[in-house]
Amino acid sequence: MQLRYVFSEARTGFRRNLSMTIALIVTIFVSLTLVGVGLLLQAQATKAENYWGNKLQITVFLCTANSRSPQCTNGAADEAQKQGIQDVLTSHPEVASYRFQTKQEAYDIWRRVYIGKDKSEQQVLSTVTVEDMPESYWVTLKDPQKYQGVEAAVSGMDGVNNVQDLRAVLKPIYEFINGMKIGALGVAAFLLLAAVLQVANTIRLAAFARRREIGIMRLVGASTLYIQLPFVMETLVAAVIGVVLAALAISALMFFKVYGGYFGLPPGLRSSPIVEWIDWWDAARAIGGIAILGVVLTVIPTLVMTRKYLKV
Amino acid sequence: MIRFENVTATYPGQTKSALEQVSIDIEKGEFVFLVGASGSGKSTFLRMVLREARPTSGKVYVAGKEINRLASWKVPALRRQIGTVFQDFRLLPNKTVAENVGFALQVIGKPRAHIRKVVPETLELVGLDGMGARMPDELSGGEQQRVAVARAFVNRPMILIADEPTGNLDPTTSLGIMNLLDRINSTGTTVVMATHDVSIVDQMRKRVIELVGGHVVRDQSEGVYRSHGGGRH
Repeated sequence: MQLRYVFSEARTGFRRNLSMTIALIVTIFVSLTLVGVGLLLQAQATKAENYWGNKLQITVFLCTANSRSPQCTNGAADEAQKQGIQDVLTSHPEVASYRFQTKQEAYDIWRRVYIGKDKSEQQVLSTVTVEDMPESYWVTLKDPQKYQGVEAAVSGMDGVNNVQDLRAVLKPIYEFINGMKIGALGVAAFLLLAAVLQVANTIRLAAFARRREIGIMRLVGASTLYIQLPFVMETLVAAVIGVVLAALAISALMFFKVYGGYFGLPPGLRSSPIVEWIDWWDAARAIGGIAILGVVLTVIPTLVMTRKYLKV
Repeated sequence: MIRFENVTATYPGQTKSALEQVSIDIEKGEFVFLVGASGSGKSTFLRMVLREARPTSGKVYVAGKEINRLASWKVPALRRQIGTVFQDFRLLPNKTVAENVGFALQVIGKPRAHIRKVVPETLELVGLDGMGARMPDELSGGEQQRVAVARAFVNRPMILIADEPTGNLDPTTSLGIMNLLDRINSTGTTVVMATHDVSIVDQMRKRVIELVGGHVVRDQSEGVYRSHGGGRH
């Protein structure tokens, strides 16, 4: 088969429909970028879930002198109360392990995470003492999903100020990531629909412009594939350019926002990141996904439309 | 070469048939005129030979294949054995004469060396020797139709179909085209030509098949345009 004809026809077709093709490329580019962002958000959500899920603990904060909970009427938790809590935690079937955090440890972490060089932050530092920090038990569960039992067992005990479930703290973050993901994929779905319709329109125009050639090709017995190939090439080139642009956009996002954001964090957080970030492997998978999507969503409508308009 | 057996063709949404119970047998190497008024079924007949249309009932055989049973991916192979010429030439205006003729070979994947050899030979055969570099709009109507005939014949088809090939040409030029088709016919190619041209049919004295309202009303060797006592035209 002489492919020279196919390529030269695809090239002329490309030039002839330049504005249409550019519109197609832009639509493919933007929609695939959004799909890619959606996939990255998905990956991030999964990563965060795994990261936090593995470390999922409930934290039992003990009373300090200033606590106002009904269980804290006697001021800071005393040794007897602590012993009682430890007994419950040791005997509870859902508890895998637990760790005690002292006031000093709590103070050190708080100071490292929240206090920078800022003047007002320094003022806060000067008013807060080690004694203001609560002691706490960090409880690791056998099954992170079953936190209610442990929570119920300890939350009413004397000396327990409150029980914090990490899941409840993280829920808004999950919901935010999820919302972003649904938003990106939703907008992308509409844009992809537009891209498919633009493919159809481009084919219609191209088929009309080449109707004489096509008529003769059918008449002299050119194969269906041979007639379709220039059209497929034309949309495939648009798809590849769109995919490449989207891949660049996603890489830029990874480079400047994810890695830039990560390295832009204060040193304390960088050494112990609050969450595991998506990496280049996730980006590569997202790009692979949009590449397949981009090619499939242009080539299939092209084949369908050429069949319809060429009646081959 | 072409055989119609009790062929009836009705287009969707129409009650009247374009062809009705048509049975015709055209042998290899024959020259056949297909005559009849517009709407008599001539075009439907030709479209079926090309498998652009299919019979509602009955059987159509072209080059030994029953077209109704032919898988659609085999249709290109069938059409490679059939050359077609139209009233309006259908040349590609942005290609030279040689490119127009070569196009028919190019798109069925013939090697370039073959095209370079066969195209000038065919142009010589149709009387356009040395005009390969011209553009179609530089040629007269008769010359353009010769290019179209060259394109139809360049792959040496077994069947040549001509749908009113002289419809846009003056009588003298028409005669030239008819001589060309006759010459092609004498190489063994079956020629089926639909026409309104009385003088050409009468002059050539070839087989004439006359269609009226989708029926074959006459099938006569060495016939003339008008049927005796028909008075339908």
